[in-house]
Amino acid sequence: MQVNLDKTFAIDASSGKAWLFLQDIPGVAGCMPGAEITDTIDDSHYKGKVKAKIGPATMAFNGDIEIKGIDADKRELHLLGQGQDTKGSSSATMDLTATVVDSADGKCELKGVATVSVTGKAASLGGRMMTQVADQILNQFGKNFANNVLAMGEGEAAAEAKEELAEQPAELNGLAFAWSVFIGFLRSLFRGKSANQSQ
Amino acid sequence: MATAEDRVKADIEREDALQGIGCSRKRKEDPRFVQGKGTYVDDVKLPGTLYADLVRSPFAHARIKGINKEKALALPGVHAVLTAEDLKPLNLHWMPTLAGDVQAVLADEKVHMQYQEVAVVIADDRYIAADAVDLVEVEYEALPVLVDPHKALDPDAPILREDAEDKDNVGQGPRKHPNHIFNWQVGDAEATERAFDEAEVTVKQEMYYPRVHPSPLETCGCVASFDKVNGKLDVYITSQAPHVVRTVVSMLSGVPESKVRIVSPDIGGGFGNKVGIYPGYVTAIVASIVIGRPVKWIEDRMEHLSTTAWARDYWMTGELAADKDGRIKGLKVDVLADHGAFNSHAQPTKWPAGFLSICTGSYDIPVAHVNVDGVYTNKSPGGVAYRCSFRVTEAVYVIERMMDVLAQKLGIDKAEIRRRNFVKPEQFPYETCLGWELDSGDYHTALDKVLAAVDYEGLRKEQAEKRAKGELMGIGLVTFTEVVGAGPSKNCDILGVGMFDSAEIRVHPTGSAIARMGTITQGQGHQTTYAQIIASELGIPSEEIQIEEGDTDTAPYGLGTYGSRSTPVGGAATAVAARKIRDKARKIAAHLMEVSEDDVEWDIDRFKVKGVPGQEKTMKEVAWAAYNNVPEGMEMGLEAVDYYDPPNFTYPFGTYLCVVDIDKYTGVVDIRRFYALDDCGTRINPMIIEGQVHGGLNEGFAVAMGQEMPYDEEGNLLGNTFMDYFIPTFVETPHWETDYTVTPSPHHPLGAKGVAESPHVGSIPCFTAAIVDALAHLDVTHVDMPHNAYRVWQTLHELGADKRD
Repeated sequence: MQVNLDKTFAIDASSGKAWLFLQDIPGVAGCMPGAEITDTIDDSHYKGKVKAKIGPATMAFNGDIEIKGIDADKRELHLLGQGQDTKGSSSATMDLTATVVDSADGKCELKGVATVSVTGKAASLGGRMMTQVADQILNQFGKNFANNVLAMGEGEAAAEAKEELAEQPAELNGLAFAWSVFIGFLRSLFRGKSANQSQ
Repeated sequence: MATAEDRVKADIEREDALQGIGCSRKRKEDPRFVQGKGTYVDDVKLPGTLYADLVRSPFAHARIKGINKEKALALPGVHAVLTAEDLKPLNLHWMPTLAGDVQAVLADEKVHMQYQEVAVVIADDRYIAADAVDLVEVEYEALPVLVDPHKALDPDAPILREDAEDKDNVGQGPRKHPNHIFNWQVGDAEATERAFDEAEVTVKQEMYYPRVHPSPLETCGCVASFDKVNGKLDVYITSQAPHVVRTVVSMLSGVPESKVRIVSPDIGGGFGNKVGIYPGYVTAIVASIVIGRPVKWIEDRMEHLSTTAWARDYWMTGELAADKDGRIKGLKVDVLADHGAFNSHAQPTKWPAGFLSICTGSYDIPVAHVNVDGVYTNKSPGGVAYRCSFRVTEAVYVIERMMDVLAQKLGIDKAEIRRRNFVKPEQFPYETCLGWELDSGDYHTALDKVLAAVDYEGLRKEQAEKRAKGELMGIGLVTFTEVVGAGPSKNCDILGVGMFDSAEIRVHPTGSAIARMGTITQGQGHQTTYAQIIASELGIPSEEIQIEEGDTDTAPYGLGTYGSRSTPVGGAATAVAARKIRDKARKIAAHLMEVSEDDVEWDIDRFKVKGVPGQEKTMKEVAWAAYNNVPEGMEMGLEAVDYYDPPNFTYPFGTYLCVVDIDKYTGVVDIRRFYALDDCGTRINPMIIEGQVHGGLNEGFAVAMGQEMPYDEEGNLLGNTFMDYFIPTFVETPHWETDYTVTPSPHHPLGAKGVAESPHVGSIPCFTAAIVDALAHLDVTHVDMPHNAYRVWQTLHELGADKRD
């Protein structure tokens, strides 16, 4: 079960700051809801885990993250994450290329292109939800990333961003998360309809 | 004075009282089932039972780098965690399959499919076992996955079965690639080629018969109980072939067969899924032998759909050669068969593609050739006969689809082209060009009866009118012949045991009887119908006849129930055993009446002296005498056993017609009418036949309209929950109309042929035919299953048929 994602997040800060944060692997991993780096092996190899609670089911993935490349000229990070859930019934991989791109007004955008693939029970049971779920996880990731970059600065915006980050739950919250997936799904339905009508 | 009419009436009453052959006797099984009082495997509760649960692979193809049991073993209540390493000293980490291959009981260094069994946990209860499964740590190294069977024989394809890489034969003849299982050919290739070269018309059609799962209501499971004191092994198991299981278990475990007892209790449906032997059974048995306590293993639904035997998965190409009038001159069938990771195809041993060569169908075809290649892929193993004889569903599908393709090409009506090619009634017994001897049939009568019943011409007229208005209406027609009742032991065996079946009947002194068979009912109603056969043969009311099956300690050896073999083989054994008893009873009756045996005639429930009214002895009286007053030199008692080796298969047939209306904007198919005429020879219980036909049609509807087990490119199975896998209920199922003709089998003692699978085999191509027929004017010759609304809409959309004016 494979999903290809291509997302762009607007960041209210300079590309230099964003690029600085993008190279902080444990920091970036921490932007992923429910994820953390548990062990740094060397500059390009880390161990991490992702924990998600959806309804009564808890899924915890332990895995390896490998930095495949950091291109300072392009401000591009390429990483490969591979994990297996601790119960041994599913596994997941993510191949992500993240790029910081300048936008107008001295601000920037984070562009992420990812291929996520899931095997085992997670694919059998969650296959039809996977696009929406991955989409929502990435939305939260983008938001956290932007806040982290903002928090590096000073002033009101930075304080607000810090506050929002502090409120983030340590693990992916099932019910709230499921709700956001559902709302996202509804929105996509209506988006589709209005697009058709305008044709 | 009793008039002749009174006597006839009295005879009829006497006959009715027996509730014998031809009576719509109510099923004896139903009172316990509708009250929830059946005893299924999971209802077997033995003192001290432990529970097994399996660690399964999330990968379709991976090397196992390590298994860490420590955390699981540390969980209180866990007795053992076994892996292939633990089974190796017992040589039980691999087991033989019915198809001559081997299958891993627990993955040996590699996993070859998703959900493959990697380790087994034995614990105090089901919950602890499940928790412990989560604690077993398995480290995998993912390998390239082979999902598409068309790529299996590529030079650079990943090699799946390293254990068999160097073998030039994995049980079914020479092979040409490490992922190749067998090549099977039947018929005269050269003569067929010639027929095609010389033909006025040829047609060719590719079609895919999707992988589907029988998914009976009850999943698979067993309770194994080894008694260390007396060395006896009892196994309660969901098996359609308990005696074969006993032989295999004895061979695998080394426990003498006399100390192995297999019990198939009530079974919640089998449909071919419960013929084979699964790793879960083996692990439970091994665990019980090692620990010395009963071990229960019951699958959940996901495990069931993911790993136990599925059916079909045939990529078929059919070709017909014909003259301009539609008379067939030759047939070619070419198949690529996806067997999954192990060849655990269930079939008589010498038939790698089952009875696929019955694919000449109901037609007089002079020459044909069939070619089948089987390959390994990273998918679960299977290929069972899902409510059919081995691969007959595929055979009927390909020939019936090809008849329509030819009809469309020539512009001949689909009923007419069948009529022109039917084997004629006077040609029976008819030897097909691929070596089958069709025992009896009257295809023309069956077809005519159905066409008249539905007003075929009227339907075609209506269809033309609807087409003119832009509406989609289709008429599917199928005139199939099945082959059931495997089978003559000269060409059918399972692991070397001939495919006979058996019955043992004992008549008690007071005239009631008990009978035991080698078959096993899973919903077919054997407890009802076998008693009816004995009632008619012996004149004992069926209410006083007890039928028992499924306990190998008591029942005579038989090959079990699948491929509609119960009536053709087990039913024949029952009739023959009853006749042996009647022959003895006749001698006793003659002795009692002090006349010659030749002067005694049988009349419903008694022996009469010819020409001497009132001189008679009922079977009940004879039964009493059998235990105290038999002719000199005769042994006491009244019982017989018969092991029946059928001289031929039986060939039930039918004509099915389906009318559909398709909503061209949504793809929703409304099955307006489905008319099923079956000819199964002598009809033992018309009500049970009706029920079986309904059940078969329902399952045919499920396969044609919604069932499939798709895999993605990583080998993830995406159809293994009831969210995805289509099980029709009352809501979706259309109304069925049934009908029949009776053309008895000339070689079966009762003339009966077996029926429960015909409706499955016959209906599936009929649904497809109806969908295609609705689109025939758009030059559509075939549409692959399943025909759910989305897929039908996709077809309509591609054709541009869903455009609004």
